[in-house]
Amino acid sequence: MKKAVKRGYIVNTVVLAAVYALCVVLAAALEGNDNFKLTIVPSIWQCCYLIILAASLNLVLGFMGQLSLGHCGFMAIGAYTAALMSLAFQRAGVYDEKSGAVFILIMIACAICAGLLAAVFGVLLGIPALRLKGDYLAIITMGFGLIIVNVINNLPFAGQNGLAEGTAAASLYATGLGFGSTAKVTYLWFAIAVTILCVALMFMYIRSKYGRAVRAIRDDEIAASASGINTGYYKVLTFAFSAFFAGIAGAVYACCNSSLSTSSFSFTNGSILNSTFVVVMVVLGGMGSLTGSVVSAVIMFFLNYQIGNGSWVHSLPGFIQSIFAYPMLVYALVLIVIIMFRPKGIFGTYEFSLLRTPGELVRLLKRHGGGKKAAGGKEAAAQ
Amino acid sequence: MKKVLAILLALCMVFALAACGETGGESEEPASSDGGSASSGGDTIKIGMIGPKTGQNAAYGSSMEEGLTMTIDQINEAGGILGLQVELISMDDRGDPNEAQNAFNSLISQGVSLIIGSATSGATSALTSLANEEGVVLISPSATADSITTEDDYVFRACFKDTLQGSIAAAYVESLGITRVGTIACSADTYSQGLVDAFTVACDERGIEVVAEESTATMNAQDFTNQFTAMASADVDLVYAIYYYDAVGPFLVTQARAAGYDGIIMGADGYDGSLDYVSEGVDYSAFNDVVYTNHYDASDTSPVVQEYVTSYQELYGTTPLCFAALASDCMMMLQMAIETAGSTDAASVRDALADTSVTYEGVTGTFNLDETGTPVKGAAVIEFVYDESVGGLDGLGTQLVTTISSDEIA
Repeated sequence: MKKAVKRGYIVNTVVLAAVYALCVVLAAALEGNDNFKLTIVPSIWQCCYLIILAASLNLVLGFMGQLSLGHCGFMAIGAYTAALMSLAFQRAGVYDEKSGAVFILIMIACAICAGLLAAVFGVLLGIPALRLKGDYLAIITMGFGLIIVNVINNLPFAGQNGLAEGTAAASLYATGLGFGSTAKVTYLWFAIAVTILCVALMFMYIRSKYGRAVRAIRDDEIAASASGINTGYYKVLTFAFSAFFAGIAGAVYACCNSSLSTSSFSFTNGSILNSTFVVVMVVLGGMGSLTGSVVSAVIMFFLNYQIGNGSWVHSLPGFIQSIFAYPMLVYALVLIVIIMFRPKGIFGTYEFSLLRTPGELVRLLKRHGGGKKAAGGKEAAAQ
Repeated sequence: MKKVLAILLALCMVFALAACGETGGESEEPASSDGGSASSGGDTIKIGMIGPKTGQNAAYGSSMEEGLTMTIDQINEAGGILGLQVELISMDDRGDPNEAQNAFNSLISQGVSLIIGSATSGATSALTSLANEEGVVLISPSATADSITTEDDYVFRACFKDTLQGSIAAAYVESLGITRVGTIACSADTYSQGLVDAFTVACDERGIEVVAEESTATMNAQDFTNQFTAMASADVDLVYAIYYYDAVGPFLVTQARAAGYDGIIMGADGYDGSLDYVSEGVDYSAFNDVVYTNHYDASDTSPVVQEYVTSYQELYGTTPLCFAALASDCMMMLQMAIETAGSTDAASVRDALADTSVTYEGVTGTFNLDETGTPVKGAAVIEFVYDESVGGLDGLGTQLVTTISSDEIA
């Protein structure tokens, strides 16, 4: 067993390093390509923060079984922390331009601080909120999501006047963490590295003794506390851990946009970046499957992006185009279809694994039975 | 079997909704078919449009698209610009900064270098630095926040800015002889708070006393009762309340009257289109004594406006909102700039637009751009009127009170 775990770590690390290297090489090779700069790179950036966001919510929603509707609130905290910190460093004269080792160090520091501050808020919110369950917890976290946006709006140094427009937005773009198209290509490695690192850390958390305790709480809280698990401690810890990564997702978001406004994190946001939609992503990918969240974040992003910007949309028949004019309808339809046929979400609780999945796929094809896959997945996840 | 049935039902629902949406979609047809025939004839000038066609401020984006489609058809019928036909590529940003960026990048990768958009300040500010980086001309029809055009060379607009609109409102208040006013704003919103701040400053200069200040947490608030009760007890004669049409029509005005406030309610260009959102059966006379500053007045008797309104009504059957008129003015500015520059190259079009001596005669007035790229122009003050002899929703209409030119403020 120990040996298999070790082998798994080695294989996963090697493959992830290879994927990362491939991305960096591709980015260097395609740097001059307009299509790459304008379409592919922004898409990857957006996928990155959606992946981190969805996976981090999955810790709370899927593995701990607590419904949190305020996840974008943590993201907002992270985004504003990172942006304001980068501006403060710049004003203090630590760096002048967006290049060099100092800037990279500051970028990393900003991301970590963004995560830490979000985690602090996670603890503060988690201690009172996690005494509640179900609907009540959902309402508290939803309230948090609404409040935090309004608080940020009314802070004199942040808010809509602070970083959204004019000189502040321009300085964020010129000297801070707000990246334009060219800078996004240059720092693509940062987004990919952060995403890989975050998802890997979440995996390790879930596979550790903490993760087992958290899953025990989800399955039966009374039995878990009878077995000596401090349920309150683990709940708050997981909540804070999840908030930490949401904060980092916020930092990546801040990098990805040349200006920052709180309307992006509010509940009325018409795009896919709002707290309810992140819940949808987690449910769609499978509650209790981190790889499922990664896949569904990418799927939802592409669906959203292609409906709005894909050139193939114009070649569709007129009536389909007029459906696509209302993107929310398409999401609803996709959701209905998936939840009808796979109520557990795309992956259920199955985790994609480089060691196991190829073999299981071969067996699955041999059996020609779709229904067995889910059962196999459970066993695999239990290991 | 049940699952199949459920899916069929879901599909039916979607198609039914899509069919409802088709009336709106149909209006796009002439443009796209024109665009198609033009592109078969050779080169076209591609103009990009970014606006909120769905979501909270959908009325703004669809108005922009309708206005632009009409103006571009007229330009094409008259032989196009520099002998080239114009093709409109319109994108939806849902009022979200991130979606606006995606739409912007997608337009550039389609080879568009002249873009009109977006409608709101929030979405537009996400584009301004990108427009500069990519060297793309961006003209916003209705982003009124002061700082939109100050930082970037490639960004222009067709509307006045918030500080100007606030001072115009204060000038109007002074002309009424009112000395006690109150304000209600959404403190978190740039547009709302920005206008109220400008109004307050202008009031101080004119010796008008702002005795009560109230606020709401969000722009789409649905309850204004407490705010207006405070206004009624502060005994003000006019309340400057800045919200969008989706709050003003259904909630703000009727709740203000119900709370016992019967003075004047004054708003800004966001009030445009409010009457389409009034619920049936309310006391329509509540809408008397509601005035707002706007970019233009559809009942203006000047030939430019009347010609525009008539052809718009023929095409779409409704009176054009200011967003349609402003978008058409953006197109007019682009047309003049392209003709002056003699090319569609973004850099030379930008230089032509940056010339502050050029006077534009548009539907929303005659104006020059200042050195930042913002028009210096006056505003129309419009009031809602309820005609009891007609009765019902049809009895509600708008009427021009006065126009205030920019000279009167300075």
